[in-house]
Amino acid sequence: MTHTAIIIRILRIVFYVALALTSFAALAGIGIFFVAVKDLPRVPEPLIRIIETPPTEIYAATGEKIMVIGGRESISLSRVSQHFIQAVVATEDHRFWDHHGINKVRTLKAFWITLFKPGKVQGASTITQQLSKNLFFSFKRTYMRKFRELLVALQIESQYSKREILEAYINHIPIGVGAHGIEQGARTFFGKPAFELTLAESALLAGLPKSPTRYNPYLYYDRAKKRQRVVLLRMMAVGYITKAIADNASQTELNLRPLPAGARTGSYFLDIVVKSLEERYGPEVVHHGGLKITTTLDPQLQSWAIESMQKGLTELEKMLGIYKQSNGSSGETVTHPQGALVAVETNSGAIKALVGGRNYSETEYNRAVQNKRLPGSGFKPFLYYTALEKLGINPATVFIDQAVTIPVIGAEDWSPRNFGLKHEGPMVLKRALMKSVNSIAAQLVENTGPEEVIRTAHRCGIKSHLEPVYSVAMGTSGVSPLEMASSFATFATGGVRHETFWISRVEDALGRVLEEHIVSGGRSLDASFVYQVVDMMRGVLDEGTGSIVRRLGFDLPAAGKTGTTDGYYDAWFTGFTPTLSTSVWVGYDRGEGLWDTRGMGITGGHGAAPIWADFMIKATDGEPPREFAIPSVIRFEKIDPITGYKANDSTLNPLRIALREGQKVYENILGDEELNGSTNVVPSWSP
Amino acid sequence: MWTRDEDHKLYKIEWNSLEIKRNLCVNFSMMDWYEPRDFKEWAKRLFAIRHLVLILFILSVFISELRFDWLEQALGSYLVTTNSNRPESGAIWEIGHRTITARQTLDQIVTDRQFSQREARGATTFTQMALNILPNQGVMLSSEHFRKLYLTLPQTIAHKIASPFEILRLFSDGSWVRTYLEKAGDGLKIYLLNTNNRVLRELKIPLNLIQYIERVEMALTGTLEDLPTFKNRIYSADRFFAALESLPEEDLRSVVSQPEMLLSMPGHIVRVGISDEAVSGFIELGFEIEDGTKRKVILLKGREWAVWMLRSCLEEKELELNTTSDSQSNWM
Repeated sequence: MTHTAIIIRILRIVFYVALALTSFAALAGIGIFFVAVKDLPRVPEPLIRIIETPPTEIYAATGEKIMVIGGRESISLSRVSQHFIQAVVATEDHRFWDHHGINKVRTLKAFWITLFKPGKVQGASTITQQLSKNLFFSFKRTYMRKFRELLVALQIESQYSKREILEAYINHIPIGVGAHGIEQGARTFFGKPAFELTLAESALLAGLPKSPTRYNPYLYYDRAKKRQRVVLLRMMAVGYITKAIADNASQTELNLRPLPAGARTGSYFLDIVVKSLEERYGPEVVHHGGLKITTTLDPQLQSWAIESMQKGLTELEKMLGIYKQSNGSSGETVTHPQGALVAVETNSGAIKALVGGRNYSETEYNRAVQNKRLPGSGFKPFLYYTALEKLGINPATVFIDQAVTIPVIGAEDWSPRNFGLKHEGPMVLKRALMKSVNSIAAQLVENTGPEEVIRTAHRCGIKSHLEPVYSVAMGTSGVSPLEMASSFATFATGGVRHETFWISRVEDALGRVLEEHIVSGGRSLDASFVYQVVDMMRGVLDEGTGSIVRRLGFDLPAAGKTGTTDGYYDAWFTGFTPTLSTSVWVGYDRGEGLWDTRGMGITGGHGAAPIWADFMIKATDGEPPREFAIPSVIRFEKIDPITGYKANDSTLNPLRIALREGQKVYENILGDEELNGSTNVVPSWSP
Repeated sequence: MWTRDEDHKLYKIEWNSLEIKRNLCVNFSMMDWYEPRDFKEWAKRLFAIRHLVLILFILSVFISELRFDWLEQALGSYLVTTNSNRPESGAIWEIGHRTITARQTLDQIVTDRQFSQREARGATTFTQMALNILPNQGVMLSSEHFRKLYLTLPQTIAHKIASPFEILRLFSDGSWVRTYLEKAGDGLKIYLLNTNNRVLRELKIPLNLIQYIERVEMALTGTLEDLPTFKNRIYSADRFFAALESLPEEDLRSVVSQPEMLLSMPGHIVRVGISDEAVSGFIELGFEIEDGTKRKVILLKGREWAVWMLRSCLEEKELELNTTSDSQSNWM
């Protein structure tokens, strides 16, 4: 046998083997085809119709639309800018108008790369295949999924025209920032309908579906511009535009529409709105039911709240020395402090602004609602109210600031210490609250009992579980900023409690009302005692631990209380005007106290109060001064803050106090000299 | 012609031998491939019609597929024919199903709400409206509608719900635009609202008052027999007022506190019932009034002690009457 004959014989064998393999592959292909076809999803008819689902729209109290959940509004291809259509086709599938659902050359090439170049992946999906994947399949990468995706693409091509396919595609692609479809995308990014998009805008939007987050122009403008350039070059390569036009479009400055800063998709406030709606109606109704929800949010206040929080946290970081650390070369990961702010309308309970952390994109944990932190002395107003109501004392009653030890049955004695570890001796009750004296608070709770203080807190709107121990009066049970703002609003309204709410109206897609919030308040505290507490809390701002608020320029009638916990883990300031109650908390999420660069702890007055002041100055800008309603049984007296005697011409720094009908202050009949000589003559309170 | 033996040696076949011809036929059918000896033989074989047809066929299949996508079209067309039998599965269908479920849920909620609203708005009496309110399903009425229902109540009961002067004040200053009613425990809560849904006045109606109103409203269009608590003590008006007159002057108002109200009613009193039950020191009296062909009952409350005195009088008179009738029958 000759050499050629051997080769030919081998070739023959190869040919027959190949033939057998091909036949086998064909048979296997037919088998796989029928297996894949068996539970292939049905393609809807018409294709575009199923994409249309009514959106759930959330509105601010001002009527401004602040969020759209789900919902696909499809538009016809004729209402889309030709630039965008060309940009999409050029970028995603330039042979779209010619093929029948699959680009065979590109598919073979991709297949070759996948098989023989491990680690490299090349996409070859046509627009029809992408549509098929988006409509029916998960993003799990398997050969079977890919095959089935291809089969559906082939069916779509057979069933619908190219225009219908492209129309469905552009109405379904994710553009980013919660926008789906080109119409929503155009309105979100440029505030205009899709048919008005320019070449530069179209190129930018056409580049986003590849990775809406990575190319988000709000966050990564330069990256988005580079992607836009890629799209323009593709359009040039396909022949849709010339180089000059591409260059011109590439250099055009994009006029992005600013996103509503206060309540963009995925803010802390919207989270609680959506969560409560889901609890009430179920997730399906919320995401697919096309509800129209009117919330209580004031976008302007929300925007200021975010601004104040950012500014306050930056200042706080400077105090903590984090600014320097961040710029240093240590390379260590720096933990940033967090903050929360809630503003509640006092006479309705409506939440007007809510900030749950420094940045929602970094952490979605809502510290305004979910974070139960110890309020520290911020809890004292509940104690003071209880004491006034139960002990028959008044703001002029004198207490001795001295070391106190309270025996506790079955536990160690309780010896609370003052913030500055010093004792000032006698002082009136109002001064004790203004200076946040712990030893006097301890004396009060010893006599009222912790249960009464807890009852008062619950009457005001605190809902968290509070431990019935003496220290509860000094805020040793965790509460949220929302609870603090809401419960202090009860003081602002003279003892009328309004349930906090954030949704005022819910309608279905046809405008039929599903629910409306009824603003109903019930008296939970006695107006005259409340006024006395409010008057004492005004002293906190005017001359007490929260006086920084006045120094920062907030001059409207307001009351409030600072709070700082042991170890400086939490810094609070909760305060209110007659119309708005706001609570601010700052601190680390876990395990760290707020210590400045000199090793001094940061208090509520220094950490939280400046944020409160900054926000409230803006929130009440232009508002005329409004006094808290004074009950008819209240009268005012000026007293000596040490002795509690009625002030006279010689009294230094007299203190104005509010007294109820029947409550008296006494003249100093002993004279100043004797009084100054001994504190024993001071008529201090004893149970 | 040439052929090979078992050792592949070539032999020339003699065509003139019949035997060889037979052998040839047998050998030909079993003939193995052999190498062409020259180029001509190669070319002849390569360009054989059979080969060319095969190659052209394969090429035409590939080219036509590339050009006309017939395989894709065939598969696609086949899938179109099976489309209706395939499941509605996949992301977009799931969204579709969820949308349908959401719409159905919402429709149910709205239908329930509208039913409640319709029933309450269609109510002609206060009790009818109160009873139509379902738990967790409040009802919104206009202030005008509520005012009309309020006016259907007898004055004494209307006073218990809200002072007419307050209703008048709220109605006249225009701030009260809507009324929201909801079940609260066993009773009813009524919120008089302004345009911002702020509560101007909150009214609470306990269950016993609703039951009382119900009985009053029922009595208004019925007879004493419709009220079970009166069925044991129903007296003719003559007997009742005769007994009443026998009481001391100062006690009369303790039995009938508002005689003016009875006087203001059209028609005349035909019967009076005394309730078996005493509540909070009061006993109910039912005055059945005949007005043409219609009968109605007015309920008033008398002080327990005074009504007991009256009952004693009535029972004494009844006893006297029975004794008289007995003696008359004996005499006869």
